[in-house]
Amino acid sequence: MALTAEIYQAFEDVVGQRNISQDKGVLESYRCITSQSSAHYGPFDHKTPLPQAVIMPGSTEEVQKIIKLCNKYKIQFKASTTFWSAMGFIGSENAIQLDMRRMKGIEIDEKNMIAVVEPYAIGAVVQVEAMKVGLNCNIPGVGCSSSVVASTAGWVGFGPTSISMGVAGENMLGAEWVLPDGEVLRTGSLGAGAGWFNGEGPGPSTRSVLRGFQGTTGTMGVCTKVAIRLHPWPGPTCIPTRGQTPAYKASLPDNFKCYTLCYPSWEAWAKGAAMLHEAEIVYLGHRQFNMFGRDIKAAMLRILNDPNGQLADLEPLLQDPELKKQNELMKMDIQVVLAGMTARDIAYKEKVLDRILELCGGWKSEMMLEKDMQDYVLLYLLRLGHKNLNYTLCGSYEGNYGLSSNVFVATAVIEEASELKDKWAKTHTTIADTGGDSDMGSLSIIGGGGAMGWEFFVNFDAYDKASIQGTNDFIDETQKWMTSKGLGVDMGRWNQDIRRKDGLNFTQEEHDAMYVNAAQPLVFAYQWKVREAVNPNHLGGSYYRTLTPSKIGLA
Amino acid sequence: MNATLNQLAGIVGQAGVSTTPESLAAYASDSSFATPMKPAAVVKVQSAEQVEALVKWANQTQTPLVPVSSGAPHYKGDTVAEMPGSVIVDLSGMKKILNINRQQRMAVVEPGVTYGELQAALAKEGMCLSMPLAPRATKSVAASVLDLEPRLNALHQWNYTEPLRCTEVTWGDGNRMFTGEAGAGPRDLEKQWAAQKWQVSPTGPNMLDFYRLLTASQGTMGIVTWVSLRCELLPQVERTYLVPAAKLEDVNEFAYKTLRVRFSDGLFVMNGAALASLMGGNAEEVKTLKAELPTYVAVVNVVGRELLPEERVQAQEQDIAEIAQACGLQLLPSVPGLRAEQVRAKAFEPSQVPFWKETAKGAFQDIFFTTTLNRTPEFIEAVQKQAIAAGYPVEDIGVYIQPINMGVGCHCEFTLPYNAACAKESARAKKLFVDISETISSMGAYFSRPHGIWARLQLNKDAQSTIALKKVKGIFDPNGILNPGKLSV
Repeated sequence: MALTAEIYQAFEDVVGQRNISQDKGVLESYRCITSQSSAHYGPFDHKTPLPQAVIMPGSTEEVQKIIKLCNKYKIQFKASTTFWSAMGFIGSENAIQLDMRRMKGIEIDEKNMIAVVEPYAIGAVVQVEAMKVGLNCNIPGVGCSSSVVASTAGWVGFGPTSISMGVAGENMLGAEWVLPDGEVLRTGSLGAGAGWFNGEGPGPSTRSVLRGFQGTTGTMGVCTKVAIRLHPWPGPTCIPTRGQTPAYKASLPDNFKCYTLCYPSWEAWAKGAAMLHEAEIVYLGHRQFNMFGRDIKAAMLRILNDPNGQLADLEPLLQDPELKKQNELMKMDIQVVLAGMTARDIAYKEKVLDRILELCGGWKSEMMLEKDMQDYVLLYLLRLGHKNLNYTLCGSYEGNYGLSSNVFVATAVIEEASELKDKWAKTHTTIADTGGDSDMGSLSIIGGGGAMGWEFFVNFDAYDKASIQGTNDFIDETQKWMTSKGLGVDMGRWNQDIRRKDGLNFTQEEHDAMYVNAAQPLVFAYQWKVREAVNPNHLGGSYYRTLTPSKIGLA
Repeated sequence: MNATLNQLAGIVGQAGVSTTPESLAAYASDSSFATPMKPAAVVKVQSAEQVEALVKWANQTQTPLVPVSSGAPHYKGDTVAEMPGSVIVDLSGMKKILNINRQQRMAVVEPGVTYGELQAALAKEGMCLSMPLAPRATKSVAASVLDLEPRLNALHQWNYTEPLRCTEVTWGDGNRMFTGEAGAGPRDLEKQWAAQKWQVSPTGPNMLDFYRLLTASQGTMGIVTWVSLRCELLPQVERTYLVPAAKLEDVNEFAYKTLRVRFSDGLFVMNGAALASLMGGNAEEVKTLKAELPTYVAVVNVVGRELLPEERVQAQEQDIAEIAQACGLQLLPSVPGLRAEQVRAKAFEPSQVPFWKETAKGAFQDIFFTTTLNRTPEFIEAVQKQAIAAGYPVEDIGVYIQPINMGVGCHCEFTLPYNAACAKESARAKKLFVDISETISSMGAYFSRPHGIWARLQLNKDAQSTIALKKVKGIFDPNGILNPGKLSV
């Protein structure tokens, strides 16, 4: 249903004519092909619903007024900034889309290592501003072009630097939050007028409502400002870059070291990773380039670093004996960056790293020690600005398996998982055949170590029904395999319960049927109660998972 | 009353219920200025099942429950009932260390386990737990981490709640669940361990951070029957230094710079009075030390663990010495009257009996809040002014500043020692406690752990936070049976 003229005018009165639109062309641009990064939403012609209007608020006060109007007229809303995947888009035909791009402020408290950011402050810009004063921020796997607020308050938020900086939720300090009923909650010390430094309390932390393992993906109001904890940056205030896209490189001082560590077995790899967790020497740790696939990663790195390189070069490069040898040597690898705070510090960290490799029988990849390659990898990982490469092979990708557990559990099954993928790729041709193991991800998804966060990249074509169906069939297989191993829900199915294939929200009845048999259905019943308490008109959509309490005998 | 006691005995057994005058008196008051109130009964629980049954019974009978995990003495008023007819739920008998896992550096403990007990068990596995400053010997580890007591090493705090990870809780409505990674199930620790799940990640499960609702809650949301804790490797080499300073600003600058580059494994600041209380064995020694010690001292600990421990310590001590020098200060192994190693031995271990804060005058009252390091001087100035106006000896006030959460914030604590046997001194200390609390609250001190009168001061500042808190309380403790009166405006 279209907004009435009266309602549209009410919204326009809040933001002004320039910041609202009902133009069909504009509205269509705020729809997402749902299978773009989640094959289970397929087929490719399924899109998220058309919003009734797109509104661009410019302040917390405007957001508050818009949400109060939404409550008055019972219209769903979703605020997004950098629109990663389908989760940034609405799930109802009676909904408006808030585009937060006008709110992009960044304030940095250098002394206390805090940045206060608005929704459209993206990771790249926050990082640049932080580096000017010797600080840095955790850039999660979604990449530096994404909103810091979205990853901090809206989703999971771990990345290469989480080993030393913590995951996004760990970095979240005070937050300014327009609740789904239009009231503004300022968490922790902020609400007390004491500054942004502490998001907890007073007493029990109500910030717990705003994010758990993951954020509430825009279903519980709009976060208009969030303070994040920054971390030391012992590098230059501006990173000197050179080269050509897509292989920009950075030469950093000698207190930065970038290595690809390789191990003879997964047992040795796991031992080395646990030692890296414990030794506290790593600034950044990520198994990055294996996303292209174990068999082709070295060749892909050569292509990316050749200004004239293209995918057509892949076949001849794969025949190069030296490259084959280098590829084989980094079969079980991980990229790490050491950052010394002083000359003594980097010397110590280098010694410890060498000792770890010695104890685990590991080595540093020779190919990755080439100056240009080191400089490329260093910039790539520090900045994480190449998210487009996820799509290079086939146009779309899905992260599956999701071996996000302790390193010893995950690595023990990687080869078996790889074999399953390899077999499927060779026999079904609906996913890219890249050598089975395309497992990639963070050395740790918790500050200080404890669990790795990996996913197998499965590359498919989102515009090809057979490819989507084949990918779905494959993930059905991997889910069966994960269930047989007691590894839980496949990452490729993480979002399956929050939006229907037709792009619309699930109904409460559908959610009830999903969660009534969960390991702890109580969790979803409490989430139902929380939603009723702060979002009485249910304006957030089904990304917030709930179970009607009476289904498990609760009042 | 007999019927009630029979019902309680039906849950925990006859031996677990006590109504003797002595046992009720033990919980009727504490060492704070909280108004005394005798409970109706004391119930000693032994299992999560008993706790669950007890909370369900309390909901049926509208009986207030006050959970207590630590042994006496208590100092913050949170274990003293505010409602007549309350039943004390004493968890101190739940003393099992359920699991220690070296591979994941995790431990799972019941609420009755004290620091001394846990550290001894962890040491056998080559590990230890980060410590708050010299906790009293009877302090429950679970109660300590749930109350977010500041840790000596801010750099191992990946957020304000470290080292707390997962929990088992019976909420106020009587429902029991696991929180965090453990909440993904199955709800059986043995089965989780068999599947190599070690309760590592605290978040969730799912979209709500359940465990955060239990932090700083003073037992008003749920009763926790185990916690999982992130541990550290036991140091192989450990050295401690002192950085004396005449001005707090200088020592704060040193702390900022040292933490900024992630150096040290424990760093805190005390004034001479606080350090003398910590180190003095009796009132006379405290007095002597106080006269000798510098105005402020930063205590800096550096450790080396498994790999190249000596190299790590050497590199850091040289770098930290240079940072001190750049701040016009010195990194020293001792100051007149005190060696740094002696400080480490006291600060990083549970306190001897009596609790070290009682050494100076027998009784004390703490005032603590969170702020940022750069704001601490203004709070100290305000407290000193207030003390002078009240005729309280300023030189007796202990100051303890503990950077937290990697240095983003700090715990700021004032200790007011007094002689409880002297009614005049007690009255003066009580009035000063209230006056200082109100003054610094108005200046922006953030009582993130709002014990006693601080709840009123803090929650009155922000209506929306209070409304949100009430909504959450209404979900998890709808009948208000858990420690009623606490955390209310």
